[in-house]
Amino acid sequence: MNPHIYDMLIIGGGPAGYTAGLYAARAGLDVLLLEKLSAGGQMALTHQIDNYPGFPDGIDGFELGEKMQQQAEFFGAKTEYADVTAVELNADPKAVHSSEGTFYGRTVVIATGANPRELGLAKEKALVGKGVAYCAACDGMAFRDKTVAVVGGGNSAVADALLLSRIAKKVYLIHRRDSLRATKVYHHQLEKAENVEFIWNTQVTDLLSEEKLTGVQIQNTLSGERTTTALDGLFISVGRAPATGLFDGQLALDASGYIIADESTKTSLPGVYAIGDVRSKAVRQIVTAVADGAVAVHMAEEFLAEHV
Amino acid sequence: MAARNIDQIHFHKLSEGSKPVLVDFWAPWCGYCRRIGPAYDRIADQFSEEIEVVKINIDEEPHLANAEKIEVIPTLVLYKNGNAVDSVVAPESKAAIEAFIHQALHK
Repeated sequence: MNPHIYDMLIIGGGPAGYTAGLYAARAGLDVLLLEKLSAGGQMALTHQIDNYPGFPDGIDGFELGEKMQQQAEFFGAKTEYADVTAVELNADPKAVHSSEGTFYGRTVVIATGANPRELGLAKEKALVGKGVAYCAACDGMAFRDKTVAVVGGGNSAVADALLLSRIAKKVYLIHRRDSLRATKVYHHQLEKAENVEFIWNTQVTDLLSEEKLTGVQIQNTLSGERTTTALDGLFISVGRAPATGLFDGQLALDASGYIIADESTKTSLPGVYAIGDVRSKAVRQIVTAVADGAVAVHMAEEFLAEHV
Repeated sequence: MAARNIDQIHFHKLSEGSKPVLVDFWAPWCGYCRRIGPAYDRIADQFSEEIEVVKINIDEEPHLANAEKIEVIPTLVLYKNGNAVDSVVAPESKAAIEAFIHQALHK
């Protein structure tokens, strides 16, 4: 029996992926979306989203993800809960191998997003869940009245430090520079939080642990001096890395690993589109992700019309 | 069918049974717990013959969570004959939960 060949396979069920699913289904395409866990992507971890138009009181990210999925499925998009393990984007039809088998598509839309970047320290992976965390909103509650540190100096690091200052006894903010990159609105709030202490010009050089994290070794980047600080928890908030390991060698990636594609979402391979946070772009927001989803379907329709 | 939320008493009753028990320790304020929720419900359907697939809200059952040494959520624990045989923290996909179950069942 010949395998079923979809008009479009979408990898990733965040806002970009489900918007592509919605537009593809409404355009009459036979579309399957592959999601490894549940709808919403990174957005699903945000309790309140205040910058998605149409929700003046804010909306819960998880709920918004579920609604996007329902809407796409209402119009005929299908979801398979599958962990993608390999892709053949140059093949005809294009093949996507996964935990649920191999799927074939005439076009592939990549919406795999980005994940928290790691510090790359020994024991870092082993200590995840044992004092090392990447999401204050997810794991912060476990550190009530304890001593924690946040590493990083951007908006998410500062937001994490603020959130933790309301839960933990003491919060250190460790940053390798001498000032924050975070948006101004955060600064004032952070200065008001009495239990937050800044440690400037400093990098984390080692994780100290017994069964669990007990502290960190830190190094002053100016003097080179190393000291240790006792901690119950370390929240790593040093940016995001795109989930593009599967595509390396098949698609052109930029220096940070994002898939190179302009506003047309077209990648270096015909019939393959990159949308949302995984695409090299200036502004990574839900609204730009959903816009990419609509654009990719338009481009894919043109491609499908030319390659009957 | 969604995975049932159970309490301490029900948990101890289930642990005494012959069927392995898979517990998702979670709490309503935990974002990632909600993310694995839909996948966990499908796991409950898929494995309903072989395993009791349940959830325990650690806010409602703090003593149990403490006794089971749950410090981070979501943590999934598989119990056989009342003993915890293996656990996984924040599995990243439905496939990862399935792989964990298959591995733990054979321990």
